Amino acid sequence: MFELIMNVLLFGFLGFTFFTHVLEAKVPKSFLKNPYNLKPDMWPKVIIGLLMICLAINIYRIIKKNKGKEDFNFKALLASAKDFLKSKMFLGMLIIAFAAAIIETVGFVVTVFIVLFLYGMLLGERRIVRLLIISVVLALLLQIIFGGLLDVVLPRGTVPFLRNFALWMENLI
Amino acid sequence: MKKLISLVIVLAMVLSMVSFASAEEWKFERKIELVCPWGLGGGADSTLRPLATLLQQKLGVPVEVRNETGGSGVNGIEYTYKQPADGYTFMLGTQSLFIQDMSDNTSMDFKTEFECIDVLVHSINMLAGSTKKMNEYGIKNFSDLKAYVAEHPWEVSVAMLTAVGVDGMCFEIATEGLDVNAVAYEGGSQVNADMAGGHVDLAVGGYDDMSGLIESGDIMPLLMFCEHRVSIFDSCECTAEVGINSFAGPWRGLFAKKGTPQGAIDTLVAAIEECRQDPVWQEFIHNAAYDEREVPAPGEATKQFVWQEYKDLRDYMFEQETLEKDYEDLK
Amino acid sequence: MSMGQMLVSGIQAVFGGGQFFMVVLAIVLGTVFGALPGVSATMAVALGLTFTYTMEPIAAIVFLVAIYCSSITGGSITAILFKIPGVPSSAPTTFDGYPMAQRGEAGKALGVALFTSAIGGLIAAIVMFLLSQPLSKAALAFGQGDMFAITFLGLSILTVLDMDNILTTIISGLLGLFLACIGTDPMAGVTRLTFGVRQLMSGIEMIPVLIGLFAVTEVLKQTNKNKKIDVDKNMQNAKVDTKMPTFKEMWEIKWVMLRCSIVGTVVGILPGAGATIASFMCYTMENKLSKYPEKFGTGIIDGIAASETANNAATGGAMVPLLTLGIPGGNAAAVMVSALALKGVQMGPLLLKNQPEYLSATFVTMIITNILMVIVAIGIAKVFAKILSIPYSFLGPIILCLALIGSYSEGGSAGVVIMCIAGVFGIIVKSMHLNSAAIVLGLVLGGMCEGFFSRAYLMNKANVFKVLFGTPIAAVVMTACILMLLSPLYLPLIKKLTGKKN
Repeated sequence: MFELIMNVLLFGFLGFTFFTHVLEAKVPKSFLKNPYNLKPDMWPKVIIGLLMICLAINIYRIIKKNKGKEDFNFKALLASAKDFLKSKMFLGMLIIAFAAAIIETVGFVVTVFIVLFLYGMLLGERRIVRLLIISVVLALLLQIIFGGLLDVVLPRGTVPFLRNFALWMENLI
Repeated sequence: MKKLISLVIVLAMVLSMVSFASAEEWKFERKIELVCPWGLGGGADSTLRPLATLLQQKLGVPVEVRNETGGSGVNGIEYTYKQPADGYTFMLGTQSLFIQDMSDNTSMDFKTEFECIDVLVHSINMLAGSTKKMNEYGIKNFSDLKAYVAEHPWEVSVAMLTAVGVDGMCFEIATEGLDVNAVAYEGGSQVNADMAGGHVDLAVGGYDDMSGLIESGDIMPLLMFCEHRVSIFDSCECTAEVGINSFAGPWRGLFAKKGTPQGAIDTLVAAIEECRQDPVWQEFIHNAAYDEREVPAPGEATKQFVWQEYKDLRDYMFEQETLEKDYEDLK
Repeated sequence: MSMGQMLVSGIQAVFGGGQFFMVVLAIVLGTVFGALPGVSATMAVALGLTFTYTMEPIAAIVFLVAIYCSSITGGSITAILFKIPGVPSSAPTTFDGYPMAQRGEAGKALGVALFTSAIGGLIAAIVMFLLSQPLSKAALAFGQGDMFAITFLGLSILTVLDMDNILTTIISGLLGLFLACIGTDPMAGVTRLTFGVRQLMSGIEMIPVLIGLFAVTEVLKQTNKNKKIDVDKNMQNAKVDTKMPTFKEMWEIKWVMLRCSIVGTVVGILPGAGATIASFMCYTMENKLSKYPEKFGTGIIDGIAASETANNAATGGAMVPLLTLGIPGGNAAAVMVSALALKGVQMGPLLLKNQPEYLSATFVTMIITNILMVIVAIGIAKVFAKILSIPYSFLGPIILCLALIGSYSEGGSAGVVIMCIAGVFGIIVKSMHLNSAAIVLGLVLGGMCEGFFSRAYLMNKANVFKVLFGTPIAAVVMTACILMLLSPLYLPLIKKLTGKKN
């Protein structure tokens, strides 16, 4: 059921983009002047078209294959959605999304610490103090190795004191 | 009267000393970051890195290049904009950022929020032909080319990195009224490969990108977009002498976010000036033929130069109907 | 200069005056850099630049080539251990490498990857040395239409990637192509499909997608079955095997290595196309040629060998246009060009005429690097493999942090968001029975494909037939593509016929 819904959603989304968002800016005049130019919306439109045809076939196939099956209804879908929302995987997704949301503001060290700590808990680590210490040490270590030693571009954060801290760490080596 | 004059002179001297002292007072204390909105190994990056090494020697603090790539330079702008204007972050920029600004792709008004503090290099664009193809068509110079194109509309193709950027603008003006295929390529290496292989007829680009293949004779220069003939190819015509009003060439300058302490800017500009005298830098710009054209002096001249560049691009974009954001003083 | 003289000058350049020590240093640095996520081969070379400021030009290129070759190889380490491909071209390495590491055969997987990388590199180096002039001429014969055909060939292997689910594989590939359309179009510079999101203007950054789709999805999946991990995996992980593959095992894949070296070198020579097409192409090719195709993807050494031999051979192949024409095939090569430019060396066709010692020095460096690298890298890989014995409640989060570093360094904070979305997307893709490898292939090749096609279309006056079949190269390759694309239609038919005969 989930597969069917996703296919239908994708089909609808592509249909919507086909008519509205393929081109989002004006094409330069000199480009239009040349009759032999491939218009910039041509390629994506062909691909979207092909994709929609394939999706339509796939939707038909899924319906045919699953017709009459017991769990092929909305009730079963709702039940599995409930299971999913309670699953560890969903929590994991939330942690990663949270990290992506804060990394620019609080910087690398804090984000990494949060990920290490929360995800460690999620994966069943129960020795909290140990986890806490390891998370702090690892976060600092990664910053020193990658940010300081290797000059990899890492976010410093925009909060002033965190930014200064990151700068200080970078200059350590 | 004499007294008054001497008083004025003394006052002027004191004042200049004070302002001089304030510039002198600024001392960089920690790492300076030079943001490069383009990737490692590109033209912008390879101009900035040698400079950073030299600046580090002159200033005595680490000078680090940070590549914030993506969005045709926009990501670099946005990153720099987010940093505090404390005099420790500067950004390399070119006129292609102006195009992003006027296409309304930046979250701020780049023109007002950033200031160009020093133009590092200003290179000369050129129109070159694939020797293989030019021999086939019997083209020896620019006027031959014009005649050939007029007879063969839409048959001659010219490679450039952005068909709607500076290269495109150069070429558009030079071949007004002629029907040539402008072909946008993703990278200089492919342009060179296609030129050497004779798959494309012409290319517009900087000398530094094509020098190797010009020396070997695989590519022949046809026209320099310059006010005067260029010493390395003084047999090649320049736009001024054939009566074409097209001189734009890619340049690279350092930009500071608005509000950056003047002391920091002055100290940095002075250090760059020192670097210019360094034999390492001089050899670098000579090898890339960047020394064929003067760069504007820092200060008023640079400001005027940048405004003019903005204006030219604005007019070009207006004509192409791609202008999304207009500035009052450019209209 | 004769071949022999060139060889002597090359050996002098590498072994003379303490230079050899620098090469060893470069190999160690390169392998370590390459093995760390977030440090691409390009960055490794750029980091190496710092050491070369005081060197002579030839010494500098020797040093940088050594870093370059060994960092590409080092990249396979994270692909195998954490499913984090450092470069798109090592994506196929994860298909078999990661399952092997999961089974506790990390050592063997790494050994195969390193050894086959070396073989690929060596063969490419020899080919480069002997045939650089004719090869560079051959590379120049490829116009935009021919390049389109080659890229399209890379795409057509989609249909044979997973014969059983042909429809969903095609949907996946098209989805990848669709994602590749997002951003600025290659010709007119017009934004498409961004829905007003500024970060999408330059298109979707590759590395964050790869990291998300492979590494993050994997960690998420492990999260759900983590109960089992804590008990079984820890037991298993406690004895992570760092045993290297035996000679017999390597001997069994000799033809795989040979075939992939040749295909890799040839594809690598083409500017821009390079290593990614080569590794995907070889992986599928070996899958098709194999006596046990069903085992591909479950963790067999053939799969690792195909991908790693090919991408290292392609790296060697990319040195050909660089040295003979001054045309860098990729970013890392471009960094080398700018390093040499700084020293007043003009790259171009004349370089080899005037100073052939550049070619010989590069050749000898590549040979030495590829041999020494196996020893150095195996040592490093053993240390890295030990990481797997860490309990998953620590290892999982560490992989996520490495993924954060990798995606931020390639795409900024937007890269992290893309990685996160791609990670969740990977789960959805799985439940839709789509093929994530096909999505990646479409995404990697889509932009190139459209660019080549649009340029060829314009230069052939909008004549599509001329674009596709206008030159001998394009015609041959396109015919092969069509045969491959239609194979799901006629292969069963042939099977039926021959089956009846039997």
